[in-house]
Amino acid sequence: MLLAFRCALASERVAATAIEANEFPQLSQELGVFAVPRIVVNGEPRWDGAVPESEFLRRVLAA
Amino acid sequence: MPLLRPEEETKVRKWFAELEQPVELLVALGPEETPRAGSGDVDFGADMIRVCEALAELGERVTCRLEEEPEGFPRFPAVSIRPDGRDAGVRYDGLPWGYELGSVVGAIVEAGREEPTLRPDSVTALEELDRDLVLDVFVTPT
Repeated sequence: MLLAFRCALASERVAATAIEANEFPQLSQELGVFAVPRIVVNGEPRWDGAVPESEFLRRVLAA
Repeated sequence: MPLLRPEEETKVRKWFAELEQPVELLVALGPEETPRAGSGDVDFGADMIRVCEALAELGERVTCRLEEEPEGFPRFPAVSIRPDGRDAGVRYDGLPWGYELGSVVGAIVEAGREEPTLRPDSVTALEELDRDLVLDVFVTPT
């Protein structure tokens, strides 16, 4: 989670929100959240699980 | 019940004492979605206030402000972590308890730094972004 926050703090073009899946079950269901962390970029589910910074950036920038 | 164990509180106080700039926690309150079964009788809004006010007590440069249904918040409760009071797009939707309290503490520490802590090549890549990116990370407290 912290990596997403760091990206937002480093760029005005990035916003990062942590969403507590149990508290927002409707949204979680819509986005098919069965594992956490689930990373959603611009509304599209991308991947589940933590990855190193370089891989995180690569995946986010490729979205 | 205290928010943190004594040894954790000591660490967090030290981190918050080293903040290079003020950090505001803007707590947004409003109508809440019905959580999943098993969440018990938790008053998420009241607990969010308790958590954020308790965090603000751990450092002089951390402040907490409450607003009812502020613009730009689709879900409640939520907390926006704001470096020097600026909306930097860093938000936590829902009550950050358990393991996830660490995410908010970490966000405060990061927001309190004047320079990004990402690797230089990551910062460069983000500086070259020609579009907006909205990252939503679904988490659970355990």
